[in-house]
Amino acid sequence: MLEISDLRASYDGVPALRSIDFQVGAGERVAILGPNGAGKTTLLKTISGTVEVDAGTIRFEGRDLHSQPPHKRVEAGIVHVPQGRMIFASMTVTDNLRLGSHRGGAQHRHGERLDLVLEIFPALADMLNRDGGALSGGQQQMLAVARGVMACPRLLMLDEPSMGLAPRAADSVFEGIARLLESETTATIVVEQRAHEALEICERAYVLESGEVVLEASNRALLTDERLAAAYLGSET
Amino acid sequence: MVEFLQFLVPGILIGGVYALLASGLGLIFGVMRVVNFAQADFMMLAMYLSWALFAGGVGLDPFLAVPAVFFVFLLLGMAVHWLFIRFVIGRRENHDAQVILTIGLGLIFQNLILIRYSSEPRVVAPSYANAGDFIGDIFISRVRLYAFLLSVLVAALVFLFLNRSATGRAIRAASENWEAATYMGVDIDRTNRIAFGVGVALTAVGGSALVTFQSITPFVGLRFVVVMFAAVVLGGLGSVRGAFVGGVLIGVIQSVSQVWTSAAVKNVWVFALFLLILYVRPNGLFGKAQRAI
Repeated sequence: MLEISDLRASYDGVPALRSIDFQVGAGERVAILGPNGAGKTTLLKTISGTVEVDAGTIRFEGRDLHSQPPHKRVEAGIVHVPQGRMIFASMTVTDNLRLGSHRGGAQHRHGERLDLVLEIFPALADMLNRDGGALSGGQQQMLAVARGVMACPRLLMLDEPSMGLAPRAADSVFEGIARLLESETTATIVVEQRAHEALEICERAYVLESGEVVLEASNRALLTDERLAAAYLGSET
Repeated sequence: MVEFLQFLVPGILIGGVYALLASGLGLIFGVMRVVNFAQADFMMLAMYLSWALFAGGVGLDPFLAVPAVFFVFLLLGMAVHWLFIRFVIGRRENHDAQVILTIGLGLIFQNLILIRYSSEPRVVAPSYANAGDFIGDIFISRVRLYAFLLSVLVAALVFLFLNRSATGRAIRAASENWEAATYMGVDIDRTNRIAFGVGVALTAVGGSALVTFQSITPFVGLRFVVVMFAAVVLGGLGSVRGAFVGGVLIGVIQSVSQVWTSAAVKNVWVFALFLLILYVRPNGLFGKAQRAI
């Protein structure tokens, strides 16, 4: 579904991605792990089109995305839930969700998607008329994911959904994401510092370091192989 | 008391027009962080269009010409965005280019009109130009009343557009966080183009509301540019509602100050209040803490 080969990108001449090869199959869930500054967010931004590519190709469902502006990619079904939530603080939860289904066919499925989103994150149901800025951090993250789901994604990209959240709030966000992935067959990429949570909901993982893929493995291999776990998942295992 | 009201009412009426002029400038700044120094010259062009439609044989009433003025300037604004503005949007380094570009556009507009129509003042005087009505002891000029009602109506329609339509929602989203709006599939170039067109059209309509009591020259914009910028800053940069309130406030102060002091110093009072408000609320009446872009 998504095929990336030999992808390179840089910020002001400083390379951020060096020759990335990366695939996601239809309906597959893939985690991207790695330290800060490894290029995880940059990789997602090249896919959603907000960072320019220096070289290499990104193909989505067979089509080269090279000349596609970001809003066309959303129309094609690539939906990026950015790091740091980026909800519209001065707009109501309802308006935030409406913006989620701003593009293309999603408009016509607004009601149906809204039902789904409120089933996944019931906490949002009582807050529809509140301003986004009045929500707690956890609720804002739920809103950010929900807003992405409203867009009828074919490929959903979640960038650090637990970032900056208290452990309990992060848990409830992950519970919602798990409910989503059970009821939908959307292909999903999860970038996450909490590697274990990410691996629980994903089938496969890439580990990035300094803009390169240093490991690609199934979640089982990562979770069961002690050496891999020690090297890439931190000391807790 | 009657004397006070006799100054307050016209102040509110002209303030409504200032509010419309300023909300166009405020909308453009709020959505794409471009300070459009040519804004008052778009107003001047609109005044000439109203004059041409009225005096140039068609005999179209300037208030009835407003829908035409709106659409002409909506398209002109979108064209100017497409031709020039979009290339200087976004990066912080582009700030100087924005200033030079918009000042340059304003100068070109002024001089094209000067070449074509000379500097001779033009007036638009429909049959009811000097008519008015007494309400109690207060005299209300009819053209100023129409100008006020028109401004409030147009501002209300634009407010509805921004708050109720999908495009309006996308414009508000892009103005709050363009990157997040991009992830929602909002075409930022398109929302900027529409917002620039609407912003220019708002100020243009404000200009054509003025023509029945303000003579028109190629440099008439200079008389209003200070009021427009003061209203936008007073209301809070980036807030269209703030720009509107700021405009009304300035009209009232200019007018009411004439109860006590000469009309020649009316803008002194405006700037005294301007400084006072910014001292107490540095981000303006409705402004939030500034984001860096």
